[in-house]
Amino acid sequence: MSEVASVVAGYGLAVVAVAVYGAWIVARGRSIGRELGIGDPGGPNGQEDGRWT
Amino acid sequence: MSEELGSTAQGSMTASVATRVLGVVAAAAAALMLVLGLVVSPADVVQGEAVRLLYVHVPAIWVAYGSFGLTSLASALLLWRGRRRSDGGRHYDRLAGSAAECGVVFTAITLVSGSLWGKITWGTYWQWDARLTTTVLLFITYVGYLALRNLPAEPTVRARRAAVMALVSFVNVPIVHFSVDWWRTLHQPASLRIGRRPEITGEMYWTLLYSTLAVSVVAAWLMIHRYRVIRLEELRDEAGLAVALEQRRGEVVG
Repeated sequence: MSEVASVVAGYGLAVVAVAVYGAWIVARGRSIGRELGIGDPGGPNGQEDGRWT
Repeated sequence: MSEELGSTAQGSMTASVATRVLGVVAAAAAALMLVLGLVVSPADVVQGEAVRLLYVHVPAIWVAYGSFGLTSLASALLLWRGRRRSDGGRHYDRLAGSAAECGVVFTAITLVSGSLWGKITWGTYWQWDARLTTTVLLFITYVGYLALRNLPAEPTVRARRAAVMALVSFVNVPIVHFSVDWWRTLHQPASLRIGRRPEITGEMYWTLLYSTLAVSVVAAWLMIHRYRVIRLEELRDEAGLAVALEQRRGEVVG
């Protein structure tokens, strides 16, 4: 691999790692929140919105 | 350290107005970091284009050190004051867990970017050098810490066990950092040291400092959201336990 290709690979892998981790966190939060009905006024935990943070 | 990390914004489970602003700032800071590192900063006379990898590699390990430091601090507070808190110290546990996970991600980035840099500079992706070996040990230790956090146990007991492991694991952080001074290693000495003239200057110096700031802001965003997701996981587990207890009561009565 050339120097430039190695540099691009290093930056690319770092960006992908952070983006995938960030997206996983947000998706997991949304999924569990939906499961609990947080943020949904009609849901079982509709009043939890400001409490769980 | 405040328990309240902000109220949630409408339509999102882990974002608040403050963290949305932080997210925009983090994305802009990371984009500028890419421009500075890949375009503005010149190639090094000795290292050539490989020097650009240091703008990812060095900030990543500094953020990992900081994350593991935060994990240790929160763990020490959990063991010291956890029982006196109304939540049994779970706030400290969440803080420790979110920081450790972030630290593991940035240690992985350090290892991969360092390996690519090593291939250009040393001609090999890997050497069993003191710095490289202790960094891999650091990564494995904290992966073990995260695994321990996921073992089934009573939450307070699990949090205290994890806190002890976090404090033991942190011993390796100064060993990693000073390994280049304590042993003869292939790895170059630290680029920046407090109280000493920096090894790099000019645009490279400022790009490195700026990259560290940008990566720190990104890490802060990740940690805050992960903290909130851990809280959601706890709420889900508590809700599941309440349902299971209700069913059991129903069976007993029936």
